[in-house]
Amino acid sequence: MGIIIAVISGKGGVGKTTTTANIGLGIALNDKKCVVVDFDIGQRNLDMILGLENRVVFDMVQVMDGEANLKQALIKSKISPNLHFLAASQTKDKSVLDSEKIFKLVTDLSAEYDFVILDAPAGIESGYEHTIEFADRAIVVVNPEVSSIRDADRAIGILDSKSQKVKDGSEVLKYLIINRINPKMVQSGEMLASEDILDILNVPLIGKIPEDKGIIDASNQGKPIILDTNAAAGKAYARIAARLCGQEIPLENVEEPENGLMQKIKEMFA
Amino acid sequence: MFSFFSKKSSAKTAKDRLTIAIMSDRKNNDAFPFMDEMKAEIIEVVKKYMGVKTIEIKKEIEDGVEALSIDVQLETNA
Repeated sequence: MGIIIAVISGKGGVGKTTTTANIGLGIALNDKKCVVVDFDIGQRNLDMILGLENRVVFDMVQVMDGEANLKQALIKSKISPNLHFLAASQTKDKSVLDSEKIFKLVTDLSAEYDFVILDAPAGIESGYEHTIEFADRAIVVVNPEVSSIRDADRAIGILDSKSQKVKDGSEVLKYLIINRINPKMVQSGEMLASEDILDILNVPLIGKIPEDKGIIDASNQGKPIILDTNAAAGKAYARIAARLCGQEIPLENVEEPENGLMQKIKEMFA
Repeated sequence: MFSFFSKKSSAKTAKDRLTIAIMSDRKNNDAFPFMDEMKAEIIEVVKKYMGVKTIEIKKEIEDGVEALSIDVQLETNA
C-alpha cells in the first residue's frame, strides 16, 4: 500500500498547488510511482501547473460517481511515466464529496502507487476536511507571514481532530515546508526566520524554499520549476522529494543570501 | 548601513503577536472538541419545530460566571 499525503495550508495562495506539482514530479523522478490528485473542486489548477490542462477528459468526481473508471481518468505526465494526475471537477460543487467514495478512491490509488498526493483546497471547510480524512501524512505549506502561519495552525488543529487516523487512535505524520523565504529580509529582521515559525507551529521541517521569480515563468509554461536544475526553488523541491523518498539530506540554510560572503565584505567597507 | 540601525525588527513583533494569537485560538478550539456534533444535534432538535439557518455557540465569561450563549438564526420565512 502506498502512502497517502495531503498537502494543506489553511490560507490560499501560499504555493500549495505548486508544491504538490513539484513534489509529485520529484518523487516520480526518484523512480517511485506517484499520483497527484486535485481536491480543489470547482477551482481546478494543478492541471495548469503540470501543463496537462488539455489532456483532461474525466475528473475525480466522475470516477467517484462511477461515470468513468480510474484508467480513463488518470493522465500520464509528459515528463515522467511514473507520474499520473487526476483532475478536480471544474463544474461541480464541493458538496458532492462523500466520505465513502473518497475512501474507495484513495484506497484504489494507494494499491497502485507508492505515493498518493492530495492537493487540498484552501480554507478549513468541508472540501478540506474530506481531503485530510484518509491521509496517512500531511505536508503543511506556509509562507513566513502572520496570516499564513495562523491559518496553518487552524488547519493542523482540524487535521489532528478529524482525520480517520486520529479517530482510530493513531496520528497523522506532519511535515512543514516554509515557502517564499526572502533571505535578505530574514537577515535584516523584517521576515520571520524558520526557527521562529518552528517554535510557533511545532511541526518538523522537511524543507525551506526561497522566493524565486522563476516560479511564475514555470507556471506560465506548465513546466514545474523542479525541472530547472539551476533554480533555487527547483533545487529545494528536489531535496524535499528525495527526503520523502527516504534519502537523508541535511537541511540547507536558504536564509543565508547567495552572495553572503560578498555582502559581508561590502558591508565592512561601506 | 543607515537603514540597518534605523529599522526596528518587525519579525520579532510578528513572532510575539502570532504566539499570543495562536495560543488563544488553540484554547478556544480545545474548549469544545465536540462543538460540531453539539451544533448538529441542536439544529436537529430545533428543526423539528422550525427552520434553522445557522447556529452559533460561544462561551462567555462575565463577573466570574461562565455561560454558554447559543444563538440560533431562523430561516426568514419560518
